[in-house]
Amino acid sequence: MASERDPGMSTYVAIWAGFLAIVGIEVFITYQHPATKRLLAILLVLAFIEAGIGLLYFMHMKYERKILFWTIVPITVFVLFMMDHVWADAYRLFYLRMSQ
Amino acid sequence: MSDSELTMAAHGAGHGAALEESPYGMQSKKLAMWLFIASDAVTFAVALVAYGYLRIGSPDWTRPFNFWPSIANGLVMTFVLLSSSLTMLVAVRAAKAGDKHKSIQWIGFTMLLGIIFAGLHLREWFHMFADGWGLFHNPTGGSIDFGAAFFSVTGLHLLHVTSGVVALAVIAWGYNRGRLDQNHVETTSLYWHFVDIVWMFVFPLMYLMNAH
Repeated sequence: MASERDPGMSTYVAIWAGFLAIVGIEVFITYQHPATKRLLAILLVLAFIEAGIGLLYFMHMKYERKILFWTIVPITVFVLFMMDHVWADAYRLFYLRMSQ
Repeated sequence: MSDSELTMAAHGAGHGAALEESPYGMQSKKLAMWLFIASDAVTFAVALVAYGYLRIGSPDWTRPFNFWPSIANGLVMTFVLLSSSLTMLVAVRAAKAGDKHKSIQWIGFTMLLGIIFAGLHLREWFHMFADGWGLFHNPTGGSIDFGAAFFSVTGLHLLHVTSGVVALAVIAWGYNRGRLDQNHVETTSLYWHFVDIVWMFVFPLMYLMNAH
């Protein structure tokens, strides 16, 4: 099976250390007190980087057949993208409250 | 073609189909786990989007977390959960190498780290309850939606960690008795890594975004 391939423990430990470093960077950036939207964007980008690396290496998707990626990831990303329709309504609630 | 010949041909096709290699090159249980993970990712996304919706819609949103003890506790929890992914990888490698004893031992370490994570999480919850926080209570006087969002999202994740520990215990027991094999260990490890990856979103969004 494709998943029989294994990058080795040294790679796993390096990724683990990298994840810890990213979490440290997240905390450091948080306490620089950037604007909320900027902080959210930075934290999301870093979280997606961690998720991608975890998916590819810890969950071995990198070593599976490509069809698994094309079956799972695009449709999941599409569903997540479609959820973004709610934000306009959330802001509407906020501004309605503020105008009262 | 007679009925008996048709039946034999159908049986032959059936067996041929049963022996046909999976286009994914993996066992059905592993593919099922991947599909479950995709659907569960959407479940968590819904919870986090709902949290974002409530937060944007609340002009008096509360950011209650100090670095000590909340963020520091979250960092320790993150370290513990990330380390549990590493121990799970060792368990899977040992299982693939045919070293059952070592694999079960490292599954045990993974479970222990999962239990420590859950313990740290519950300890934090109970401190928050003691401070007056609840699903619909905010002791600072701000939006009550904070408690609803925080306890819902972290509770959903805690439920997954707890379920993962139970699943690992069942797999280790079955693997030790010879009823389950290395593929079960590998399939369960996918779930465990997924729970770890979800925490990579929960920690920054629920803790760091609410730090002051």
